[in-house]
Amino acid sequence: MAGERTITLEVQRFHPEADEAPYLQPYTIPFSEGTSVLEGLQHIKDRLDGSLTFRWSCRMAVCGSCGCMIDGEPALACRAFLRDYAPGPVRVAPLDHLPIRRDLVVDQSDFLAKLERARTYLIPADERTPADGAYRQTPEEMADYYDYAQCINCLLCYAACPQYGWDQAFTGPAVLALVQRYDLDSRDAGKDARRAVVNADTGVWGCTLVGYCSEVCPKGVDPARAINQRKPASVADYLLGWLRPSGGEGTP
Amino acid sequence: MSRPRTYRPGMRGWWQRHPAYRRYLLREGTSLFLGGYALWLVAGLLCLAAGEAAYGQWRALQGTPWLFGLHLAALMAACYHAVTWLRLLPLTVPVIRLGGRRPSDRALIRGSWGVSVALSAALWLYLGGGWP
Repeated sequence: MAGERTITLEVQRFHPEADEAPYLQPYTIPFSEGTSVLEGLQHIKDRLDGSLTFRWSCRMAVCGSCGCMIDGEPALACRAFLRDYAPGPVRVAPLDHLPIRRDLVVDQSDFLAKLERARTYLIPADERTPADGAYRQTPEEMADYYDYAQCINCLLCYAACPQYGWDQAFTGPAVLALVQRYDLDSRDAGKDARRAVVNADTGVWGCTLVGYCSEVCPKGVDPARAINQRKPASVADYLLGWLRPSGGEGTP
Repeated sequence: MSRPRTYRPGMRGWWQRHPAYRRYLLREGTSLFLGGYALWLVAGLLCLAAGEAAYGQWRALQGTPWLFGLHLAALMAACYHAVTWLRLLPLTVPVIRLGGRRPSDRALIRGSWGVSVALSAALWLYLGGGWP
C-alpha cells in the first residue's frame, strides 16, 4: 500500500538447538495507529518468519502471557503500541533475569514453583460447605487486599527486579505480593502457613526497595508496597521468636 | 524428561539498563556520605577526649576548602536521602486505620515532614540555648 508507515523490529532470537547465544534479527513491518507490538510480532510470524516463537493469548492485558522487554522496559506486548516507538527501530527481547527457552519465550518454572510453595490461595479457618452460605466481607476489608489481587502473573516485576537477577532464590515481587494479598484477606487464616516463606532471607528481606517492579506492573499491583509493608510484622515475628521457648517457627 | 537448554543473560552492567536502577544506586549511595559524616563527627569526639590541642586541630581542619566541599556534598546527600526516604515511607507502613480510615500516602508523607521539621527546630533551639 502506498504511503503505509513501516517500522523495524529488532527481535532477539535464540533457538537452543542451533544457537550458542541470542542475537538480534531485524524485521520491517507495516503499522497503523492501533498496531500493538504483539500484532507486529504476529505479522512477522504469519508473513515473514514462521520460526519466531512468542507467547500470547488474550490480546487485552488480562492473561499476562506476552510480557517482554520492549526497548529495554518490561511491558506487555499487547499493551504497547508501535506508534509510540516510531520511527524505530524498536528492540523486542525476552523478559530480563529469566532463563530464555526460545526466542521471546522464558522459562517460568521457578516462578510457578515459588507460587505453589508460598500457598497463595485462600486457607479458611474452618471447613465450610456451600450450605454454610457465602463469606461476608465489608468493602473496607476488601480494599485492604484488592489491589494485590489484580496480579496476572505476567512476570514483568521479576524482569524489573535486579535482586532477583542476582539471586534466583529470592521469592520475588509477584509471589510476595500474592502472599500479602491472602494474608490481608479477612476470610483467610493461612498466615502461619506462609510465614516461613515471608520471613526467610529469601522472603521480604531479599527486597531492597528498588521499586521498579511497581512502576512496570500493568495492573497497578504495587509489589514494592506489599513486600515492605510486611517487614514490620516480620521483625515482630523475629523478636517474638526469641521470647518463645520453641524458638519460633519461620524466623530468619 | 530432560529440559531443553536455556540461556540466562548475566547481570553485567545492570545499572546501565534503566534509569530506575541508577536512581536506586544514587539513593543508596547517599548513605555513604552520611556514614562518612558520622565517622568525621566520631573523630571530632575522639579528638575532644584526647585533649584541647587535638580538638583545636580538628576544628581548624573544618575551615579548609576541601573539607568545606565535603561537608557541602554531605549536606546535599543528606537532603536527597531525606526526600527519597520520606517519599518511600508510606510503602513501609503496615495496613493501619486511624479513626476508621487508612491514611493516604500524602497524609503520611506530610505528617512525617511535619514531625521531622518540628524535631529539627527543637534541636536547633536547644543547641542554640534558646530552649527550653
